[in-house]
Amino acid sequence: MSNRGKLHLANLQTLFYPKSIAVVGTNRVIGTVPGDIFVNILHADPQGIVFPVSPREKYIGGVKAYKYVIDIEDEVDLAVIVFPSSVAKLALEQCGQKGIKTVIIISAGFREVGEKGLAKENELLEIAKKYDISFIGPNCLGVINTDPDSRLNASFARKFPSQGNIAFLSQSGALCTAVLDYAQAKNIGFSKFVSFGNKTDISEIDLLYYLMDDEKTKVILLYLEEITDGCGLMKAAREVIDKSHKPVLILKSGRTKEGASAAASHTGSLAGEDKICDAAFKQAGIIRCENIEEMFNIAIAFVYQPKPKRNDVAIITNAGGPGVLTTDATIKEGINLAQFSEETLLYLKRNLPTTANIKNPVDIIGDARADRYVAAISAAVRDENVGGIFIILTPQSMTDIDTIAKEIAKVAEEFDKPVYASFMGEADVASGIKILQQNNIPHYVLPESMCKPFLKVYEFNQQLQKENNPEPVITKQSQEAKSFINNSLKLNRKYLYEINAIKVLAEYDLPVIKSRLAKSVSEALQVAEEIGYPLVMKVMSDDIVHKFDVGGVMLNINSKEEVSGAYETILKNVETIMPEATIEGISISEQVAQGVEVILGIKKDPSFGSVIMFGVGGIFVEIFKDVSFRVAPVQKDTAFEMINEIKASKLLLGTRGKKPADIDSIIESIVKLSHMAVDNPNIKELDINPLIVLEQGKGCFIADAKIILK
Amino acid sequence: MKLEEVKHRIKKVVANVLKMDESEISDDANFIFDLGADSMQSMLLIAAFEEEFDIEMDVEKAQEVQTIGGAVDFIAAYL
Repeated sequence: MSNRGKLHLANLQTLFYPKSIAVVGTNRVIGTVPGDIFVNILHADPQGIVFPVSPREKYIGGVKAYKYVIDIEDEVDLAVIVFPSSVAKLALEQCGQKGIKTVIIISAGFREVGEKGLAKENELLEIAKKYDISFIGPNCLGVINTDPDSRLNASFARKFPSQGNIAFLSQSGALCTAVLDYAQAKNIGFSKFVSFGNKTDISEIDLLYYLMDDEKTKVILLYLEEITDGCGLMKAAREVIDKSHKPVLILKSGRTKEGASAAASHTGSLAGEDKICDAAFKQAGIIRCENIEEMFNIAIAFVYQPKPKRNDVAIITNAGGPGVLTTDATIKEGINLAQFSEETLLYLKRNLPTTANIKNPVDIIGDARADRYVAAISAAVRDENVGGIFIILTPQSMTDIDTIAKEIAKVAEEFDKPVYASFMGEADVASGIKILQQNNIPHYVLPESMCKPFLKVYEFNQQLQKENNPEPVITKQSQEAKSFINNSLKLNRKYLYEINAIKVLAEYDLPVIKSRLAKSVSEALQVAEEIGYPLVMKVMSDDIVHKFDVGGVMLNINSKEEVSGAYETILKNVETIMPEATIEGISISEQVAQGVEVILGIKKDPSFGSVIMFGVGGIFVEIFKDVSFRVAPVQKDTAFEMINEIKASKLLLGTRGKKPADIDSIIESIVKLSHMAVDNPNIKELDINPLIVLEQGKGCFIADAKIILK
Repeated sequence: MKLEEVKHRIKKVVANVLKMDESEISDDANFIFDLGADSMQSMLLIAAFEEEFDIEMDVEKAQEVQTIGGAVDFIAAYL
């Protein structure tokens, strides 16, 4: 953690638990941000003194006002700056002079409005550094802490939320107000609620580290619009999960934005910003959510119920149709329907009518009242094959909704297994839903919505059971490779074509094959004799990205005559299709035995650093798009995950009589390539395509490679 | 017009728009930070300066002027 990060961690405690608060730039006008923030702070009944600071007012709301923050005689823990952006720096400077260490800058009009705004924002950061101030914002809604020891509402949100165990951090202020309203309707409370705006100083990473040790927080939700320090975010999330066992859920907007339009390699083209984000989150153990509703659906499952120990559910329903729909969704999500024990089946048979379906999903029939729900739930929850219970209710004339809700809550409290419910409908079931929510039974409007939260909590629990993997250690570094790349950059080379790329790859012990460059037919014949047949010949040119597309590759060269012929043919093909290309020569390399063609790649991402790609290789790589990503460096288990993640992994593992491919050699290559990526930050993109993988025990070989430099 | 006179007239306008005593306005006072002008009052000040000095100012640039001293220099350039 940086020194400034350490400072933030220390200052954040004061930010959430201030004993004195100055609202700098406030006024008497209710309905404006400066006026409302002061009122909101007072109305929340904070555990500290509040000082209004206003250039014109003598008092506000009966409280003595100060012209300047430096005029306040007492110590001030937290300042909330609500002045316009044009004078925010004057206010922050005075906060520094007053010795205030934590500040919330609500004011808008900074980087979000352009260059001038960005300059103002940088001025704020300079002042903060000068006085060791940590600040949230600017351009934010503010900060809320529901802990009775603080009761801070330094925001212009309409509502002060109820107390809960969910921390919500958001880059968007407007989303915060909508979330507060949504959560109130669903009886969801918060521990901390932070709108961090432009995150000029305190970022989501600092907040994650703080929340790691916050006793009031059990789950952390984060809404992000941009990731500025992806690696820092991954590290912080990993630490929070490993050390505090708190799940981190992130909703990242901009899913459809593809940052790969100008890519010059297959990897660059396939590694869109969103896919990298997905991979990085997975690697860090972060749960990525599709939308706000899904985020809270998962969050309440974490907060209100125990974690499932088995991925097997029992579905109990009074309606056949919704039961079948939920069964479909359960299986589709990857959750098993629990196989009931004989004892459970016998109990259900004795306690349910003969028309009931006692097998999972249990249909207790439309006229079921509370007693049937209790019988079914009690039997299922005791069954050791059951990891959790989904309860479905549709309101029928005899359904005693409120009683059923109360009984569900009673049974759920007795056992250490998660119970989720879906009371379908709206008006008739409203009171029952309220009872469920008041008793910490997660309720879902649609029964299918119970599946994903169950699975996510189960997977998270499984992840916690695993032994923590140590940070990957870089085992190979090469000064020679670095010098080679740096020299190429000095010569303004954008690419390292195959021959040179192979030189670099060989430095990291990657499985390269014999390969040489020939600049004439006679040289080609000489090289062919040295390497031996069969051979592959390929055009080498900085101007040609995909050699196959210009007829620049010839395979199965078996004689001197074929070498001469191939040399001439390649030159002719290129001259016809791409006459403007400058040709360096023809590479001649040994042709390895046939195997499965896969692709390995590197892409440098501005947020996450070097990212490794693995997938189905060959010339159709961008059509199949069957690839997986991870942030470098990776260890063997992560490399294995990457292999398993692609749809074609079964081909590699052996199928329909085919022997398995040499998976271990792929794993080794992925790990080595990830080390090379970290060791060479000047590599912008890299393709090893194909990496030819032979049968188990016979290794793999790099048949072609190219490196694109920064 | 001498700068002293410009300053005096500016302070008079500011005192009038912000409804405060002229003596409370220092030479380097910031309209927002020291005198508490809100966004509406800032616009009224620009209009009042134009009327007082019978000039037409570049509103965008005028909005960037933050202090009495700055206003003196800015308006003097139009005179």
